Amino acid sequence: MTPSVREVLQGCTLAIVTPPSADAGPEYAASRFGMVAMMLGLAATEAEHAAQAAAAENADMRAVFAGLAPAYDAALGGRLSAAAAETEASLDVPVLDEANARLRRLLIELHARIEDAGDAAANRAIVSLYGRMAQLRQMALPSG
Amino acid sequence: MSGLADAIAAYLSRAWGEPVAVERLSRISGGASRETYKLDAVTSTGTRPLILRRDPPGSLIETDRRAEFLALKSFHGRVAAPEPLILEEQGAELERPFFVMRRIEGGAASSPFARDAYAPHEAKLAEAFFGTLGRIAAADPATLPIAELGALPSPGDCWRRELDYWAGVIDADELHPQPIVRAAIRWLRRNPPPPAQKLSVVHGDYRSGNFLHDGAGRIIAVLDWEMAHVGDPLEDLGWAMDPLWRHHDPDRVAGLTSKADAIAIWERASGLKVDPAAFRWWELFASVKGQAIWISSAKEYRDGGYREPILCFSGWYTARRQDEIIAERLAELAA
Repeated sequence: MTPSVREVLQGCTLAIVTPPSADAGPEYAASRFGMVAMMLGLAATEAEHAAQAAAAENADMRAVFAGLAPAYDAALGGRLSAAAAETEASLDVPVLDEANARLRRLLIELHARIEDAGDAAANRAIVSLYGRMAQLRQMALPSG
Repeated sequence: MSGLADAIAAYLSRAWGEPVAVERLSRISGGASRETYKLDAVTSTGTRPLILRRDPPGSLIETDRRAEFLALKSFHGRVAAPEPLILEEQGAELERPFFVMRRIEGGAASSPFARDAYAPHEAKLAEAFFGTLGRIAAADPATLPIAELGALPSPGDCWRRELDYWAGVIDADELHPQPIVRAAIRWLRRNPPPPAQKLSVVHGDYRSGNFLHDGAGRIIAVLDWEMAHVGDPLEDLGWAMDPLWRHHDPDRVAGLTSKADAIAIWERASGLKVDPAAFRWWELFASVKGQAIWISSAKEYRDGGYREPILCFSGWYTARRQDEIIAERLAELAA
């Protein structure tokens, strides 16, 4: 997922150590540092949950693929079954994200096929998956 | 005086044909797509309070400064739009394109993520906010300076033009596959809305947080016209009501009032009607457009060396929240 916690922290560090330009007024500086503070708060939460969220999302997509694979031809069904049988190579976030990107691309292709076929039940299953994916990635602002 | 102040003074002196001194130059927060500065231009006849908006080296979205200038020119005096003064598309002394408008003093803008931002004046501001949008929608773009931008779209093409543009932004800028917004784009293409009931000026970013209010229920400036164009008036209404801008309050669009009340205010002010089926399309489109902007900001955050915190926020928190909103909308459509 982008940006990663590493990228966010890199950006926050840059924002803190880079001197403001001569034309930056106090309002601008306060706004910028307020934003950095908020990013750090979000990064703290994300660092704790990112691996779990990515692994859970990947597992959810694989479970949906496993359920729907038999309904498709050998080409797509075979890829769905293969993806469903995969396990995580590592719980490092970059590795999980690589797998996530592959699974998401397959999900996009699968959903388009489901729509073309007019399969309402499968469509609801995918849309329900989207809701769970969004919930897994939910972020709460430090104030709320 | 700073280098930038010197450059502005040199430009204004040349443009106005008299010596100009720049005082109290200060960068302010003014969105992620322009560098925004406030300054005083001092001449022999007095002091002019100004806002200067300059293109940054990298911006959140590629916007048309000429469109913004012409939109302000179209609506200054009709609604609370700042007076545009100078458009410089070549950059000249400032090296990057910019424009100058008169500064409106004394107002405050509220973050759309702040809770209860408008208490206790929500009702009065709701009337002003959605009433202003209705008046923008009611105007005939063919008679306004914004018509200088070129041929107007046909009413039946407004949706396609906008969807093609923002889907193209996602195609170009997506760093990680985004199945939720992709599903929404496919739904929008399969279920096009009826032709626009009229062509209107679309502000393009009309939402909570993009206006100054006086703290007593009056809007004193509508800001950020940089995505202005001519299109379907329901586009702005859908964007203004996106759940992203509700200040965490599910029951009040823009943090101001109920959806039904907002539509009623807009219909009274515009003389137009909100067709529910058409509006459902434009509501989902608003979320797609939003996600395109947030995807773009994540890319610019990376490409720009992680220097702009606002790009990080947009590409991270806001993108995640927008995915939730789109997923909820898709679930309603699939039910």
